Parts: sequence; structure tokens; C-alpha cells
Amino acid sequence: MLRACPREKEVNELVVRGQWPQAASADVHEHVRRCRACADLVLVAMALQSAHAEALVAVRPASAGALWWRAQIRRRRAAVERIERPLVGAQIFALAVSLLAALGFVGFEARHGVAWLDWLEGLPQAATTQMVDFSSSGWMWLLLAAGAMLALVAGLLVYLTVDKPKA
Amino acid sequence: MNWEFALPEAPACEAHAGAHAAPHMDSEAFAGFYERSARPLWAYLARVSGDAALAEDLMQESYVRFLCAAMAPSLPRDGEVAARLYLFRIGSNLLRDHWRRPKATSIDEVSEEFFAASNAARQVESRAVLTPAMLQMKPRERELLWLAHAEGYSHREIAQVMGLAAASIRLLLFRARRKMAKLLRAQDAQTGRAE
Repeated sequence: MLRACPREKEVNELVVRGQWPQAASADVHEHVRRCRACADLVLVAMALQSAHAEALVAVRPASAGALWWRAQIRRRRAAVERIERPLVGAQIFALAVSLLAALGFVGFEARHGVAWLDWLEGLPQAATTQMVDFSSSGWMWLLLAAGAMLALVAGLLVYLTVDKPKA
Repeated sequence: MNWEFALPEAPACEAHAGAHAAPHMDSEAFAGFYERSARPLWAYLARVSGDAALAEDLMQESYVRFLCAAMAPSLPRDGEVAARLYLFRIGSNLLRDHWRRPKATSIDEVSEEFFAASNAARQVESRAVLTPAMLQMKPRERELLWLAHAEGYSHREIAQVMGLAAASIRLLLFRARRKMAKLLRAQDAQTGRAE
């Protein structure tokens, strides 16, 4: 059962100031002898203060300078990450726009250049029977150039988005 | 891409650093603060965890996080007590994270010999760092008792460090103290019988 003692604060102050038991009056001594809460307080606080004094002597802290520089490096890294975050976002956006443009181009060609699909279907046959006459259709060159450009842009995007190892 | 050339002065670590971008302490002020607070912080972490090496690691990490934290109290503005409380709070959170963290290796993969050896070594080390009575207390009880009686913090300050409601500290501390007093008396009785 919790029974707070009204003199607990007084006893605690004596222990914290290191005045227990020498500077405590006979009245306080008598109280601590009879009050279980205060007796517990004195017993535990004295044990912990002695452990505290031992622990303070035992430790040899690392250099403050080393920790200061570790914090500086971590701050720097965090700042670089904050700056790079929108750049990665922009790269992803550019890739998405390029893919959409490529899909749009293919869709447009599929709808408006049906002859192009016919030519693709006939390509295996043409390859075996005769040389394809590219010069006969001007749009064919345009198509090839667009394909090459698309491959070039895709390669460039992949190069930009992939993380390069830092030196 | 390397942007470090564009960063003459590094701002604070956290993403929400905006308002407090400047460091809250220069290196000289930090050295003084470290000199005054490192030993008590190590003692707290070691006595609560029962592991001196872990206490050393967590102490260093606490200071690095303290320096990086955007909202950390500034010594001239908020005073040393506020800075210390903040530091102890970081240490307490790191301890709790350490206890919560799942171990990387499955227990089935560890040989019995290794487990026995590691347990024995840990027990020996814990006995060296913790008194037998402290060893039998729960970590939260050790935290409470240490902050109250070794560091001399008030209930409000303990609540701040441990992230608990100030009203609950009194009861928790009372129970922990009673438990430890019982253990200390039993220990004394045992020693007396042995002698």
C-alpha cells in the first residue's frame, strides 16, 4: 500500500546533500527508525549514491573533439541527402515524361501509319526473298531516326538515374 | 553528383531543421559541457543497462545526436540543466531502442556452447557493473531509481527524461524503492549469515 510520508522530502534532502546521518537531528533519526518509507529511502539512496561515486571514477570518456567531428560529418551527410532528394524526384519525373512521350509516339504511329505495320508483317518474307527498298519510302527513314533517338534518350536517362559509386 | 562543394556551413541533421539551422553550441562550449556531463551519463547508461561497453557506445551516440538535434537546448539560452535533461532523454531513448531491437541472428542458429559462454560473460560483466540488488530490478525501475537518487532529479525532471507523466513518477518510484530496499535487506541478511 502506498503511504507517502510527510517528512520524506526532508529526509531526502539530507541524503542528497550528504548530510545523512551526521547532520540529522535525533528527531529525524527516530523518525527514520520508525517510518518504513523513509527507512527505504535512506537505504536505497545511500546505496545508489555510493554506486554513483564508484561509477564516476571508473569511466574514461572519449575525446570531445572526436564526437564533435562525428556530429559535423553526420550533419554534412544529412544536408547532402536533403539536397539530393529533390534531384532524384526530378530524374524520376523526367523518366516518366520520356516514357509517356515514347508510348504516345508509338500509339500515334500505330493509328496513323497502318502501312508501317503492314511493312513490319511483310518484313520476314521480304528479307528472305528480296532486299528491302528503303529509298522507296521516305517515312521509313524518319521512323528509324526516331527509334535511334528514343534509344539514345533512354540510355542517357538510365545513365543519369543509376547511382554512380562515389570516389 | 557531389554537392558538398556547395555546403560551406553544414546545417543541422534533421529534415525539419529549418528554424534552428545553426548549431546550438560551438566546439569549446561543447568540450566544457562534455567534460561536466559525460561521466554522469556513462554511469547512468552503465548502471541501467549493466553493460559497460554498450554504455560507452550509447554515450557517444547520445552526444552526436545531441549536437545534431535541431531542437536541442542551447547552453546560453536554456541553461546546463535543460541541456543535461535533453541528453539523458536521448540516452534513455537509445537504451529503449536497444532493448526493443530484434536480434539479427535467429536463436536456432546459435550453438549452445556459444550461448552459454556469452551468457556467463555477460553475467560476470553485469555483476561488475551492477550491484546484486540492481541486477534484480527491471530496467525501468533502475532508470527511475538512478535518476532520482544518484542524479537527484525531481519527479518532473524524471518524467521529462523518461517520457512518462509526472503524476505517475511518485507511485512508480515508491514501488521501485520498496522493492530495492527489500532486496538490499535480504542481501545484507545473507551476507550476515555467511559471515
